Amino acid sequence: MKTNYLFITMFLLGIATVFAQSISGHIISSDDGLSLPGVSIVVEGTERGAFSDFDGNFTIEASVGDTLIFSSIGFESQSIVVESDTLEVTMKTNTTNLSEVVVVGYGTMKVKDLTSSISTVGSEEIQKTPSSQVMQALQGKVAGLQVVSSGAPGEAPTIRVRGVGSYPVGGNSTPLYVVDGMFFNNIDFLNPSDIDSVSVLKDASSAAIYGVRAANGVILIETKSGKANQETQVVYDGYYGTQLAQNVLKMANAEQFTTMVLESGSTPDIEYLLNAMQLFGRSRVNPNIPDVNTNWYKEIMRPAAIQNHSINISGGSNKATYSMGGNYLAQEGILDMKNEYTKINFRARVDFQANDWLKVGANFITTNTEKFAPEYGAWKSAYTAVPILPIYNEDNTEGAWPDNFASARTLGYRGGQNPFPAMRYSDNRIQGKQTVSNLYAQVELIPNKLDFKTTYYHSYGDNYGRYTRLPFYLSNGFQRVDASISKSFSTFSNQIIDNVLTYQDQVKDHRYTLMVGSAYRNERGQSLGAQGLNFPYDDEKSWYIDQAATVPSEAVGDGGYVQYGLSYFSRVQYSYKDKYMFYGTMRADGSSKYQEKWGYFPTLSLGWIVSEEDFFKNDIVNYLKLRASWGQLGNDKVAASDGAATTSVINTAIDDTLTAGTVTTNNFSSLGWEVVEETNIGLTSKLFDNKLSIDADYFIRDTNNAVIPVLLPVVGGSILRNVGTIRNSGVELSTTWSNQVSDRFSYEISANIGTLKNEVLDLYGQDYLNGGQAEFRQRTTVGGSILAFYGWERAGVYQTEAEIAADPIAVANNLVPGDLKFVDQNNDGVIDGEDRVDLGSYLPDFTYGGNMNFQYDQLSLSISWMGQSGNKILNRKRGEYIWTNDTNIDADLAVNRWHGAGTSNTYPSSSGLRRGWNQKMSNFFVEDGSFFRVQNVQLGYTLKPNNFPQTRLTLTADRPLTMFNYNGFNPEVASGIDNQTYPIPAVFTLGVNLKF
Amino acid sequence: MKNKLFKSFALALGALTLTISCTDVVNELPENKAFTETTDYSISDNMILPLIGAYANFSNMGWELNPLLAVRGDDVNKGGLGDQKDLKDIDDFSNYNKDFWMLNSAWQGLYSDIYKMQVAIDEVYNYMEAGASASKAEQYVAEIKTLKAFFLLQLGRAWGDILIPTTSSPSDLLVAELTPRDEVFAYLQSLLDEAIPNLPEGRPNQRTDIKGGVTKATALALKAKVSLELNDYQAVADATSQIIANGGFSLVEDFSEAFKLDGKLSDEMLLEMQHSDYNQGSGDRSYHLFAFYGPQKWTPAVSGAGGGWGFWEPSKEYIKFMLDRGEEERLVASVLFTPRGMSELEADGYSLPSYVSNTTPYGDTFQDYPRAMYASGKHYMPSSYLIPGRTSYGSNKNFPVLRYAEVLLMHAEALTNGANGSGMTADQAVNAVRSRAGMAPLSGVTSSDVMEEKLAELAMEWGDRFYDSVRTGNTSHLNQNGANYDDSKRYFPYPQAQVDLLPALQN
Repeated sequence: MKTNYLFITMFLLGIATVFAQSISGHIISSDDGLSLPGVSIVVEGTERGAFSDFDGNFTIEASVGDTLIFSSIGFESQSIVVESDTLEVTMKTNTTNLSEVVVVGYGTMKVKDLTSSISTVGSEEIQKTPSSQVMQALQGKVAGLQVVSSGAPGEAPTIRVRGVGSYPVGGNSTPLYVVDGMFFNNIDFLNPSDIDSVSVLKDASSAAIYGVRAANGVILIETKSGKANQETQVVYDGYYGTQLAQNVLKMANAEQFTTMVLESGSTPDIEYLLNAMQLFGRSRVNPNIPDVNTNWYKEIMRPAAIQNHSINISGGSNKATYSMGGNYLAQEGILDMKNEYTKINFRARVDFQANDWLKVGANFITTNTEKFAPEYGAWKSAYTAVPILPIYNEDNTEGAWPDNFASARTLGYRGGQNPFPAMRYSDNRIQGKQTVSNLYAQVELIPNKLDFKTTYYHSYGDNYGRYTRLPFYLSNGFQRVDASISKSFSTFSNQIIDNVLTYQDQVKDHRYTLMVGSAYRNERGQSLGAQGLNFPYDDEKSWYIDQAATVPSEAVGDGGYVQYGLSYFSRVQYSYKDKYMFYGTMRADGSSKYQEKWGYFPTLSLGWIVSEEDFFKNDIVNYLKLRASWGQLGNDKVAASDGAATTSVINTAIDDTLTAGTVTTNNFSSLGWEVVEETNIGLTSKLFDNKLSIDADYFIRDTNNAVIPVLLPVVGGSILRNVGTIRNSGVELSTTWSNQVSDRFSYEISANIGTLKNEVLDLYGQDYLNGGQAEFRQRTTVGGSILAFYGWERAGVYQTEAEIAADPIAVANNLVPGDLKFVDQNNDGVIDGEDRVDLGSYLPDFTYGGNMNFQYDQLSLSISWMGQSGNKILNRKRGEYIWTNDTNIDADLAVNRWHGAGTSNTYPSSSGLRRGWNQKMSNFFVEDGSFFRVQNVQLGYTLKPNNFPQTRLTLTADRPLTMFNYNGFNPEVASGIDNQTYPIPAVFTLGVNLKF
Repeated sequence: MKNKLFKSFALALGALTLTISCTDVVNELPENKAFTETTDYSISDNMILPLIGAYANFSNMGWELNPLLAVRGDDVNKGGLGDQKDLKDIDDFSNYNKDFWMLNSAWQGLYSDIYKMQVAIDEVYNYMEAGASASKAEQYVAEIKTLKAFFLLQLGRAWGDILIPTTSSPSDLLVAELTPRDEVFAYLQSLLDEAIPNLPEGRPNQRTDIKGGVTKATALALKAKVSLELNDYQAVADATSQIIANGGFSLVEDFSEAFKLDGKLSDEMLLEMQHSDYNQGSGDRSYHLFAFYGPQKWTPAVSGAGGGWGFWEPSKEYIKFMLDRGEEERLVASVLFTPRGMSELEADGYSLPSYVSNTTPYGDTFQDYPRAMYASGKHYMPSSYLIPGRTSYGSNKNFPVLRYAEVLLMHAEALTNGANGSGMTADQAVNAVRSRAGMAPLSGVTSSDVMEEKLAELAMEWGDRFYDSVRTGNTSHLNQNGANYDDSKRYFPYPQAQVDLLPALQN
């Protein structure tokens, strides 16, 4: 039989050879109408093949009547019968994606085999966002993923996958990033243009293979690689743009401020006003206010430039593929000081089929960054600084140097207030280098069945911080005497060795994959820091501790850590008739971090493709898969447990001599593994000719042994303890409608929403745990949300003396009209600690996002949006008033304050603001943090000139519009406590993409 | 083919063994932590380290503690009008806000120091058990107990019934009961009695191992102060008589200098929070935040010297009291005048003597500032005393805690209340204090003379005026400057944050 078949084939080949002619053609993509290189073309039934060249052209020997099969990753394969000797082929993008392969832990899987909740975002979407941060591009894109951005250049956003299971201190709720197999806590070193895809593993079944580090979700990142048999492609991608602050918080202006002060009844503050009028004159419009009206926020900000340029070169032969690239990014901060970020990175990736059983490869990324960090304190100063203070005081008689910046102390205020000295006389430079490399060898032990892969990963980097403070004198008490320079060096080196053995086979209808592996992890770091005072500071070249007159011994610090991890893991994946799937993984993790050394993390999941069943087949639902999974994950990002008392050195003056003693701390954290247990059920479906896709998931995620800081009685401070069980549950829904209306016009609309309910199930017998600051209490209560704001509920404002007289509570507390009225929750006639209630959580009830893409010929338009709802923000900037009264306040409060019966039922009077009664933690300080934002708008136009590289021009507006009611700059506050956040600017850019 | 398979398996096996052979690494201890269990207690010389640590914590007491404890007396008013209204409400007894941050901060500061003392005692005993000198260990423990007694005294005077820590774990207080006020002071008497026999003789400044450290006299003085709270005048006299009889202490010649550089580790000091610029113009220093007490606006003799916040204002009543007595040295040393403050006095009918001036004898001149009319001279150090390069208000100044002058006055108070003492008569003790201040001697002093002398001598120090007033039931003078005292305002409320944590405070 075999020989017959061979014979026939040879016979047919012979015929073909006889009649074959040269067929040529051109291939374009339905997506953007661009030429498509690297498409594989095979004459059906033969081994004759070709690839399209860079311009999408191909030629192949075939005869009329032959069938040509065109295939390329990301596109639907199609067969075309040859009718003439030229062909125009349009490849349709693969909308079903079902044949696509996704990366899972220690391997890949076909999308159709997935039983877990995984969301993948591709490079095109990522590159739409002009940012140095890869994760910023995912904001609003993935249901259940909360991205809280940071406005400062080079600062990473806060990422939450399906809520928080332990208290977010010290970054212990950050997800695990796995970049080409290597583990990272942050991915600052990557550049968006390096990325091929980002996959968010949301549920336990997908993430459990990463065991102890998976509890906060796992984000898998694949960098770009070359494709086999692809001609060399050189792509330049760049943009230039500007960043502008949005939603600038309105502060009280000089007139509003003056009114507040006059109503406060505080004689000193009124005197400061008079001083200001004496020094700076009276306003000609209103002679009762000083002739100064400084809008501090406006003064400290600037439009800031951002630019990025990248070059990528990729290609491949049938044995080797390669991809190399370089990127330069420069971003200024919107704070008007030396605040900027530059990043230069290079990467290379080569995969080589050495012989028929051995494949080797190497991947290498190196990054250099330089960041001039902002003085975050300037944002706070701009909030508190009084508007009746000018930036400069040219008439300063106190001998100000080097500049004549004004000092509020001259007017009588307690502090200098002016944010400019901090901005001008500080220089915070942080330089970082990071190199990530991995090498692998993959051996095929049984062809197409058993292979063994060993990989060595190394991530090495250093950070060099230099913080310089230059001296100044502006007034008595607003000065810096010593020039100081603080330096810190730190290096880290993380190594992983992975060994993975994979066996896959198919016996009739049974398809299965078995994988076992082991990993050894070694993470170590060192740091050293010191300070020098009074060095020659005029020339930056002399900013060295060696040049300093004094080197305080107390400022020398030395630190280091070494942590080891050892893991064994395995995966079973089984599918029957491609309809019923089973998936399971198990990981054993050993860590030197805890007293309890080993943790075990299993998962199981099932899938059923209902649409493959005969009884289900119909014209509306093209595809339907039901999924269910259960698994356990560990969280080792909580601080290492000391497990025992520690002794440290403390210095003091004894007889004018610096003398060292010791102080022993016996309040130590003793921790076991924090374990997350998650159940997920979901469905994946395609409807209406695959035009509509719907993904839905419901999850219950319990953190057992949750680690939360527990306040120590009487002494203050807190220690970490495993305290109970915290549940996050929610529904996630993503849907996409895409339609190719005609050859020239197509569109896609997608939307997603994720709900989140955070609930404390158990606190090991206690009813509640207090947290937060004593003055701004947060409380974790069984049945409530973790660290909910906790205080009195405002019922309104006392309007009249009669109302006071009628209320025994008001009388008992000597209240006056204009004071806040609180709800007497237990109706016992007094307002005390028993009347406090849950004032809401900093976690949103739901987050949502959406996206619209339109393509008409060479023109494309995409609009995306996102938002969140139900989270609360503690307006701590206002709260600062309880400590410092001689400051400015936001315009909303100043204008809407109570100042007579009927003027306000929300805000106290100006004098009331200064009284302790109104400074109680209440929902006067806790506000709604919901917002809606137009996330990104991009207009693109593609030119295909002859003899010139294909050019695509884009205009992008990133985050151009945000709507919210919160009285702050920015409703994105990771911890819910808004003390001083860097505002998030809108970014407007012009981009060019050239393909050579 | 066979060869290839063999090679591959060898590779796989090799790689697996590599990882398996590393299983021990998960048992490694963390880096860069000095675990107490790894401390080598057999090095007996190191037994002094936890004691120095205890002194370090004593000297680092928070700046907000003394202002809160002392604000209620009629000797001083809260300055900074309009700012920190809750502190003002405490000053004039109108309202004690349980949520006021300073109450919680002071409570936590005192208790965390007490626990640091507890742990330091445990550490000293660890050295002793490992072979260090038992007598030395007992001396160190006695010193730490004395410091602990100081903190508990502050808690007891301010809050009345308090929790007394007996172990070194704060969590044990979750099940502790409140100790009634009088039992607190009785406990402190016995705690100090335990300590006294083990303490060194002499003055703190005579100690060679830790200059300025606690001696027997320190603990005795503290015991006298504790006993006053119980009206146990005989115990007071017993303690003060011992201090006086053993001699050695004397008053710094110039009253003003006692609070400045001459006073540092002088023969007058029984206990002080030590601070230092270490004789250098920049770099390491240990300091107290005296800026709280300082004037907001001044022209320092040495330009560039920093001012303060204007929060602490000697009362006009106190100044008038001093003027009426014809006090010069103590008035000039205790009060810094602004022109506005002087004209206020003149408006009240006082013709001011020439020594009342807005320029201090050290050449610093104070201008008007809105927050206060006067500032404390006891928390002031002249700008000319600063080491060149230093500019912080009060840098290099110690904070006196127990002075010999106070011992003498406690002695006199006890004797005039019927106790028997030795060493000095009440007249002698009071006149010793008066003569240093340039005041004529008295004879036949009464207990009310002593209390007036205490006001003149100890104003603005640690709230002694307020506590003296309330324990003797002589409170009418507290009602000055709008204040209205009644006994319900004797103790602070427990801070809400602590009530939330501690069952004992919840009823």
